[in-house]
Amino acid sequence: MQALLVFLSIAALSLLASSRALDPGRFPALARLAASGFLFVLLGIFLGPSVAGVLSERHLEAMRPVMALGLGTAGVLLGLNLEPRLLRLLPRSVYLSGLAHSGTAFFFVALPLLVPLVFTSVRGLLGAVGAAAMLGAAASLSSGHSAVLAWRAGRLDRARGLGVALLTMLDDAVGLGVLALALMIGAASNVGEGLGLVCLALLLGVMCGALLAFLTHSLKDLAELTTVTLGGVVLVSGAAAYLRVSPLLAGVACGATLAVVGGRTSERVARALGRVERPVFLVLVFLVGCAVHARDYWAWVLMPAFVGLRFLGKMLGGRFARRLVQQTLVLPPRLGYALIAQGGLALCLVAEYGMLVPGVLARRVLDVVVMGAVVNELLAGQAFQYVVDPPRSISANSTDGHKVAA
Amino acid sequence: MKGAVIRLLLLMVLLAIISRAQVLRADSGTPVMLAAGALLLCGLFAGKVAKGLGLPRLTGYLLVGVAVGPYVLGFIPNAGVKGLELVKGLAVSLIALVAGTELRLGLIRRVGARVALLCAAVCGVTFLVCFGATFALKPFLPFLADMTVPQALAVSALLSTVVVSFSPTVTIAIVQETSARGAFTEFLMALVIIGDLLVMVAFALAAGLTKASFGGGLDVTELLGGVGWELFGSVVVGLVLAVGMLIYMRGVKRELPLFLVGLCFAAAEGGTRLHLSPLLVSLAAGALIANLDEHAGERIHNAIQQAGLPVFALFFAAAGAGLKLDSLLTVGPAAMLLVALRGVAIWFSCRRFAPADDPRLKRYLWMGLISQAGVTFGLAALVSRTFPTFGPQVEVLIVAMITAHELVGPVLTRRALAASGEIRADDAQGTA
Repeated sequence: MQALLVFLSIAALSLLASSRALDPGRFPALARLAASGFLFVLLGIFLGPSVAGVLSERHLEAMRPVMALGLGTAGVLLGLNLEPRLLRLLPRSVYLSGLAHSGTAFFFVALPLLVPLVFTSVRGLLGAVGAAAMLGAAASLSSGHSAVLAWRAGRLDRARGLGVALLTMLDDAVGLGVLALALMIGAASNVGEGLGLVCLALLLGVMCGALLAFLTHSLKDLAELTTVTLGGVVLVSGAAAYLRVSPLLAGVACGATLAVVGGRTSERVARALGRVERPVFLVLVFLVGCAVHARDYWAWVLMPAFVGLRFLGKMLGGRFARRLVQQTLVLPPRLGYALIAQGGLALCLVAEYGMLVPGVLARRVLDVVVMGAVVNELLAGQAFQYVVDPPRSISANSTDGHKVAA
Repeated sequence: MKGAVIRLLLLMVLLAIISRAQVLRADSGTPVMLAAGALLLCGLFAGKVAKGLGLPRLTGYLLVGVAVGPYVLGFIPNAGVKGLELVKGLAVSLIALVAGTELRLGLIRRVGARVALLCAAVCGVTFLVCFGATFALKPFLPFLADMTVPQALAVSALLSTVVVSFSPTVTIAIVQETSARGAFTEFLMALVIIGDLLVMVAFALAAGLTKASFGGGLDVTELLGGVGWELFGSVVVGLVLAVGMLIYMRGVKRELPLFLVGLCFAAAEGGTRLHLSPLLVSLAAGALIANLDEHAGERIHNAIQQAGLPVFALFFAAAGAGLKLDSLLTVGPAAMLLVALRGVAIWFSCRRFAPADDPRLKRYLWMGLISQAGVTFGLAALVSRTFPTFGPQVEVLIVAMITAHELVGPVLTRRALAASGEIRADDAQGTA
């Protein structure tokens, strides 16, 4: 009954979030959180076991299949968005640029925070390294949502908006790579077995993707196409959850395979899946919020360090990235400010890590990243102002940069 | 059809690989989503194969569920199938909502009295035949053998009440699939719905008598209160839901399929927790909407056809996977005897008591009354919970009967509709 109440409250909240009650003019921060879905994280934290206790640990355990479904869906959507043709066309400097800004943020967070994690870890150095890597991976991710919105609203020119979006898309690959690495270290008794599990997840995803491409190939009826698409996503997520491997990685492999072998079908599948993207994402972030242990004081100590170090990493990383790519890609001045928003994938990564790696440390990583992501989302609104409305001196520099890129 | 067969076989190969890969892990994770995805996809393509063979899609869903389920190939663990109970409640609720939109006042005035009379006759005759047979089998049925005569009579009555029940779910799903319309179809649908209302009341009375015969005392007030709450409470809650739906449809006007799925999920879950009948709740809601606003009723019908395909494919495939084939081995002979007697009783009472003005009713109506599904499962589970000493054995017997009825019932229902000449489309889009 409690689960039912929670679902109904999510439905009510999603109606509220999409209504005009949250006027951005009156409640800008709240409206921003609602638009990005992070309001549901807060609702989850509030209703979860560590605050109001409407949902107990037992309920969360029962909701694991739903969590796996959400992660699998997110993975398939990510995989579908990989466009192999476009990726092949990108010059090396763009990859280097993406790696520079995400890598800088990664090392800025992972290395300093490794020290306190080693002290609080009961699983030894290897466990702490895995946890620090996950914090770094979550820090390296950025959301290109603000840039795209600003471009659509005419506040940022098209080339710059797309440039930021492209770099943030490349972050996702870094984040997923680190997740695979962290799961190899933490999800099994030894690294070899961990590698086997990651490979199993990818293989499962490839098989499901190929099968889904074949199943949807000649389907004309929209209802049938939607049903088969949903069934395929549920199957890959469910199989991964059953085999206790990563639904997110399996989903990415499934979506990428579909994008490669599916041809035009993959576009129809993506459209069909797009219809359930928002509700699935909202339920997923709600459940991630529920999993936060708000009474873990170590997490509260680590969170400001995470946010601060990430901020510095993004600023410096943004500068490196801009320098590396200025011949080929148009980017806004003060790129780092455009990369502050963290996006949903960061939550997916730590949720996956929390599901597959047992122990207090994985839970603490989840707490730090989830709370940090909410703070980053709030900061991002202010920070982006520096990108769309830069000071005069920066504007002058940017004009030069624009000329070079043009 | 060849394409559907190849797709189905590939899906099964994938499931076989997954179930083999599971052996590599010392302990497996939750299988609920695996069951949902596998049954949904297998059900969909098996439905196409069944259609190609001239069978109802629903039979395809059921058979593929049996095939990949825990009792045959074992690709889907039992825990996964049990975890899909929520979907079952949702499907029953959606189907009942559609059925409700068919219940117009004009129809009730036209055939209500005749249907009620025939229903009483069919249920009465079937009950008496099954009751007599069960009591006669007392020495051979382990759970009855040691009981006193009054106790055995009460338990026989309880079992026979459950055995009488029909399946509105299957009937409505087949009607949706074939787009059947006409007097025969209306009569059949009204009869299975009213039949289930009768069974609900009779079950409550039989359960009260059985409790009394085992020394629990007969509390008439509690008995009538329980029946009244289940019937009238369900109708009142259904009416409230109907008002909510109408307000949404007039005010919001967006995402109706999603809204209906959410509401039916709430009705199914909430209704079960409040000891109401989810079937009746949705039926009342649908009927009120159809009679207050015909256009809104049609919109609901169309919206459920959009959202219904995955839910119904999953529901019936899960029902197939949940059929306990092993129970056929233990209580098979007794169950098959009761199945045969029930069939004969229904056939005889339809031939004898069906209105003479439409000869199709006398000839074909019995075929549409053979199916058993959700309601019978629910009552069997209730017997098991209420009477822990003998209930589980009664449940096994009833489930064995349901297994047989599920396999032949949909085929017979479709044949009845085809023979009546009221099937309009071979492949109606949507629901079943």
